[in-house]
Amino acid sequence: MSFIIRQIAKRADGGDIIRTRTLAAAEIIVGRGTDCDIQLADLGIMLRHARLTRLPGGMVAVEATGGIPLEIDGKFVNRADLRVAELPAINLASHRLSLSPGETPDSVAITAERVIAASDAADAGAEVAIFSLRGAVPNRRILAWALAVLVLVGGLLAPVLTMAGRDTALPEAMVAEAARPAAAKPRLQPALASPAVGAAAPMQPDIVWTSGPLSSAHAGLSNSCGACHQTAFEATPDTACTACHKPAVLPDHAAADRLNTGRPAPQGVQMAVASLQHGLGLEAGRCASCHKEHEGPDGALMVSGRFCADCHDGLSARLTNTTLKNVESWDKHPQFSPTVISRTTGPKPLFERVSLDEAPRERSGLIYPHDLHLSTTNSVANMVRQQKLPAQDGALGCAYCHTADSDGVRFKPIEMEPHCSACHDLGFARDGGVVRTLPHGKPNQVAGIIRDFYVAQSLSPRADVGRLVADRKRPGITEPLGRFTLAEARIRADAAIDQVFEKQGLCADCHETQSNGAANAAMRWQVATVQLTNHYLPKGQFPHKQHDSYKGKTGEAACIACHTGVTRSKAATDVLLPKVAQCRDCHGSTNARTAVAATCDTCHGYHGPGSAPAALPAKTPVKLSWAGPRPHGVTKVIIDNKR
Amino acid sequence: MAGNRTMAGKAVSRAPRDTAHEGFLTHGRMRWAKVAATLSLLSILVYAALDPQPRANGGTAYGYVLGTVGAVMIGWLSVIGLRKRIITQRPYSLKAWTSAHVYLGLSLIVIGTLHAGFQLGWNIHSLAYVLMMIVILSGIYGVVVYARLPAQLSANRNEATQPQMLEAIRTLDRQLDTAAQPLGKAEADLVRLSLEECEVAGGLWQRLTARHPNCGNARARDAVQTLVRGQMQTGKPNPALTQILFLLERKDAALAQARRHIRLKTSLEIWLYLHVPMTIALLVALVAHILSVFLYW
Repeated sequence: MSFIIRQIAKRADGGDIIRTRTLAAAEIIVGRGTDCDIQLADLGIMLRHARLTRLPGGMVAVEATGGIPLEIDGKFVNRADLRVAELPAINLASHRLSLSPGETPDSVAITAERVIAASDAADAGAEVAIFSLRGAVPNRRILAWALAVLVLVGGLLAPVLTMAGRDTALPEAMVAEAARPAAAKPRLQPALASPAVGAAAPMQPDIVWTSGPLSSAHAGLSNSCGACHQTAFEATPDTACTACHKPAVLPDHAAADRLNTGRPAPQGVQMAVASLQHGLGLEAGRCASCHKEHEGPDGALMVSGRFCADCHDGLSARLTNTTLKNVESWDKHPQFSPTVISRTTGPKPLFERVSLDEAPRERSGLIYPHDLHLSTTNSVANMVRQQKLPAQDGALGCAYCHTADSDGVRFKPIEMEPHCSACHDLGFARDGGVVRTLPHGKPNQVAGIIRDFYVAQSLSPRADVGRLVADRKRPGITEPLGRFTLAEARIRADAAIDQVFEKQGLCADCHETQSNGAANAAMRWQVATVQLTNHYLPKGQFPHKQHDSYKGKTGEAACIACHTGVTRSKAATDVLLPKVAQCRDCHGSTNARTAVAATCDTCHGYHGPGSAPAALPAKTPVKLSWAGPRPHGVTKVIIDNKR
Repeated sequence: MAGNRTMAGKAVSRAPRDTAHEGFLTHGRMRWAKVAATLSLLSILVYAALDPQPRANGGTAYGYVLGTVGAVMIGWLSVIGLRKRIITQRPYSLKAWTSAHVYLGLSLIVIGTLHAGFQLGWNIHSLAYVLMMIVILSGIYGVVVYARLPAQLSANRNEATQPQMLEAIRTLDRQLDTAAQPLGKAEADLVRLSLEECEVAGGLWQRLTARHPNCGNARARDAVQTLVRGQMQTGKPNPALTQILFLLERKDAALAQARRHIRLKTSLEIWLYLHVPMTIALLVALVAHILSVFLYW
């Protein structure tokens, strides 16, 4: 009865040291303790870990004595009987005991060896793994490859494939919007700016190529790069713009040849820039030369005043037949030259641009002293009170006649009926309780009405009928007519007709009248054509509504603060526009409190004559027009903004 | 006290530097620093003088110039990875190259930012910019740690080599293992904490901070210390346990030194894990950036 114990230890060079000894005992103790038969230097093993006892029939009983179960055949047991012939193995922490029949029939061999290497195994890789980062993070090369592939796919391949496979259809709503005349649409409709159009399609991979958000008007195209970038390596062509913005709706600034002539040749560094741009296919004069996209919500319309001055500074030297004045900058903007009617005779008025510095006179054909009508103390002011007209500080205010149009940019045309007739009622006689009035705008009807009135009175005189005296000293006084013959009636009527038309007469209050000396009184008088300008500066726009307060003044005071001459103006020929210096009070001012924009497009549009400035709500383009003479002499001529 | 310390210690002065040695930062009397500063200043002045409409960006003429200069510079800067592997026959200086790499790389901050016109967005162009800035900033970090840490590394090493540091720990482990053999399970398990649950290096964060709050050795040391103190109050402590406490404390010091070494070495290495892969990503992003601009011209 003996145990043959073979303890295997590893040598430093990897070889094994086997120590064999024989114990003639029926029972052996395995453990870490020095008194054990098989001592295993393994802190995972108890001092006395297990007991092995020989049993008859080639069996060995194994019992855990340290309180830790033994691992035998993958099972943890406290006790087991093992058949030695089956070559059982017992695992104890890092060690294994393998049992086998000994060389003599009576003996059992136990091989004890460490199967799990001690933690201090000194392999060559340990130092690198511990002291360099290679042990903690992925290889730099792998990182580099992974990042490179990621960027390549997301930044180049996917967008290129999208670009190649795209078939761009322009959003119908946007095309329709762009084709609508400017008059009908407010600028930059929010509906278009909303993602509604673009949202239908999922985000396209080539969105990563965008150099910035599109302008709000074009936001619907954010997902349709091909709408503008039609051909690879070719700059956005003008045709991409005109596909929606038809030239009929959005004309060019001027004829192409005039634009080319007017554009100054680049000098110095600019020459290098121009040739660089030429080389890159970015020719001057393209839509995109001015309209830079991908610059944020206001981008496409964000056009600098410099673009205008590029050509308009010294324009006359290049475009020799231009009638425009050179404009270097806002500081040197020429004095306003309102378009005034310089001649009233003839069938068509003669429009002429006269600088405000040269005291332009407007031949409107009307007699209208502004000072009289804005007084707080005279008979007009009294009339305003009597008639309970809407007054401003005791006077007839500006707004009584000048009512803002729907855009708040300019004013509605002045009409006799709503604006004058409250006082100038054209009454010439009183018939009982009724005031007989003469028709306005029909001078050749007047003679007949007056003649009929006198004839009727001579044939059938009535006591309560009398002529209204046109004498300003006694307004509203009736002069009894008395009785007269039919022959007298004709003489009286002719005198009355003359009285109505001549100076101090009913018509001549407001109109310039002229006698041609004809024998027939009905044919004798001519009333001058009335032509009122409603837009003196048709090349620019001045949104009055945005200027309803000025220098702390509001309402009428604000009007007069700019139109300073109004309260002193005695003649309708006065052109009461403020001069350009007045605008510079705020626009381009260096005073931080009042400074506001002073770019060209604050007032001027670019596309076509009279187009709206980008900075303003779109306004119907201004067109110089003439309505033609009315059949009965008084002609209304306006510089119309209605097509 | 401060006076005493001064009295007690010898006046220590650094060994005089080899006067012939000149770092890459001061190479050639900072020739490349001057070139880079001039380039940056010139770029800024021209940028300030121009008033591009509607706003400054890479699409203006000056933007193209800056972009071209920047792209060429990025290409050249990334070649240092190849250049440093070439041992030149003739006296071309890698130091000069490194000096230029650092200073021109710094001026790229100015050139790149001006090229972008201070605009960023969610796109490939800004990605290239951001990658470039990561590369440059990690490079700045690299220069700083290269200038400061080697001295600390050397001081911490105290003449010991890396294998020696590891060997010291392993020796202590072996001694601990031996010393613990006669101990009972509870005490042996404490020693096993130190032997089996004690990482020298650990993960990235542990390497960067040298903080191992769950270090098995520290836990074992604390526990054994408590045991020993307890035994000291009642009588004589178990000499084996006292020996183990001594070993655990020595291992603690050895670990601290090794971990400081690892922290410094990690700091010296970590930036390259950003600098190099990000440079590769940047080169791809740069190609995508340039190509995309011309594809959608």
